Amino acid sequence: MIVARFPKPDFSSGYEYPDIVHPAPYEQLWNWIDIFLLVALMGVVAWAAHKKHSRAAIVGVSLFSLAYFGFYRSGCVCSVGSIQNVVLALTDSGYQLPLYVLLLFVLPIIFTMIFGRVFCAGVCPLGALQEIVNVRNFRMSRAVTSALSVIPWIYLAFTILYAATRSQFLICKFDPFIGIFRLGGDVGMIVFGVLLLLLSIFVGRPFCRFLCPYGALLSIFGSLSWKKVEVTRKECINCTLCHMACPVDAIRPPYANKVKEDRLAGVKRIVMYAVLLPVVTALCALLIGSGSDALSRAHKDVYLYDLIQQVEANPEMDIPLEVETFNGLGRNVEDLRTEVEAIQHDYKVYSYLIGALIGLVLSVKLIKLSTKRTRKTYEIDDANCLACGKCFNYCPQEIKKK
Amino acid sequence: MSEDLKKSPMDRRKFFRTCGAILAGGSVLGTVGAVASKLKVSGADVFWQIDPFTCTQCGRCETDCILPVSAVKCFHANKVCGYCDLCGGYYRPSVKDLNTAAENLMCPTGAITRKFVEEPYFEYTIDEDLCNGCGKCVKGCTSFGNGSLFLQVQQDLCLKCNECNIAKVCPADAIKRVSQDEAYMLKDHA
Ligand code: SF4
Ligand code: SF4
Ligand code: SF4
Repeated sequence: MIVARFPKPDFSSGYEYPDIVHPAPYEQLWNWIDIFLLVALMGVVAWAAHKKHSRAAIVGVSLFSLAYFGFYRSGCVCSVGSIQNVVLALTDSGYQLPLYVLLLFVLPIIFTMIFGRVFCAGVCPLGALQEIVNVRNFRMSRAVTSALSVIPWIYLAFTILYAATRSQFLICKFDPFIGIFRLGGDVGMIVFGVLLLLLSIFVGRPFCRFLCPYGALLSIFGSLSWKKVEVTRKECINCTLCHMACPVDAIRPPYANKVKEDRLAGVKRIVMYAVLLPVVTALCALLIGSGSDALSRAHKDVYLYDLIQQVEANPEMDIPLEVETFNGLGRNVEDLRTEVEAIQHDYKVYSYLIGALIGLVLSVKLIKLSTKRTRKTYEIDDANCLACGKCFNYCPQEIKKK
Repeated sequence: MSEDLKKSPMDRRKFFRTCGAILAGGSVLGTVGAVASKLKVSGADVFWQIDPFTCTQCGRCETDCILPVSAVKCFHANKVCGYCDLCGGYYRPSVKDLNTAAENLMCPTGAITRKFVEEPYFEYTIDEDLCNGCGKCVKGCTSFGNGSLFLQVQQDLCLKCNECNIAKVCPADAIKRVSQDEAYMLKDHA
């Protein structure tokens, strides 16, 4: 492949070729230090949230994680982004998932299944950053938060679509805080990150609640968690203080279900749900599936093929660099076309799948909104509780203990 | 006995919730297990690297790295170099006088130094601290010389973004994930 236009020099002065050593990559040991710290910090939060019932330790973990994972390790690869690596490893036979990335993905899930969302509490640098700046929490109505909480699922669905089709890593592209950690990068995303941080001063964790796709996943595992975070182990006196303190609105007030539903109405309601769920799911699948060709333009090769078509259609236009390179490398348009067809086929399949996922989430959220449960006291909603521990210091029963 | 029958709905719900949690947890674990068996996991890390034989020196390596000065640098394979006096990577194509005035030189940052070895040979060295990965010298050398200059991601500078920002826009698709033993694709080894 090397074209030797000039012959190898034939030195007479005893010249020796210099010995150039190229710097080795970062020590892989760092990856394992990351994993160790991840486990240790989640352990500390679990202990602070369940045993010690103290927020101080959790704030400490947040500060440490922000400094280490955020600024020092500059936040890449993170657990949130590792979703994409896992999806890619499942769909791309050429990609081997590094073990430590798999651990980054799995360990927070395992901890969440046992202790609740202790990763979100302050081990995640993205969460920690918002946690540190938060001073007030402006409470939004339940309808608004429920509607907004669908966004992470849609985001997750598209992340899966784009990772599975090897198009791009959406989470990395739209990470609002990475630019802040690295003190540089895409200006638009940094501005977005700063705006989100300003918002986090008044509204608890806007990214975690209304954007983070990993948070969406963890919310499922959170609601299944074995050990639940409790505001206090003593009797709740329904004083509402913890409810006011929770930055993510995860504490539900008592509610008395006064109207007793009769049996027939109950059965009717369940039948309606049974119809609603598949219908909404199918509709969403159809909707996204029908847009798959348009979506596939996010793939480099499809985009390139499009550009080539455009250049063919009007030869006067400036030839874009992509097309010039394509021609320069002597690649074949027919081959590209078959490739593009295969990609578009993948897009079709995955678009239907993620459409169904979005539909499923939508209908479950709707059903949840319409079912009301009786609660005698203030209760933590485990799916949304981030184990941040803010409520501990507000509970008068809890303070009495100390 | 009667105590048992009159259990409050809260207790009953707790029971159902536990059942539900076990069921859901079990099925989640099951799916995870099924997915895990399909995953190809490896103990080794992955890196980003440029295939120097595919790269067309488009210039995006300079502009699209997330670092303020690109992690992509010019490397020099001395064993491929012709040690020419009139170097296509060192001088601009149409220079009149072969002197080292900046306007005659290809490299915008003055990262290439040349040293006289013996008649008629010159040795070229790249100062990676100055190089910004623009690839101008590489283009010159590849079109007019032996192609001993080539671009590589310098691994101690690269932050190993989960998705390399340059790979996303590389028109030649020259940037790929590679394993540790391919962390560099050097021309003098080819
Ligand atoms: S973007 Fe690709 S083609 Fe352009 S200089 Fe970098 S590796 Fe070469
Ligand atoms: S992985 Fe990131 S730091 Fe490395 S070359 Fe690509 S953009 Fe630059
Ligand atoms: S011309 Fe560009 S690529 Fe070559 S040494 Fe100078 S800065 Fe580096």
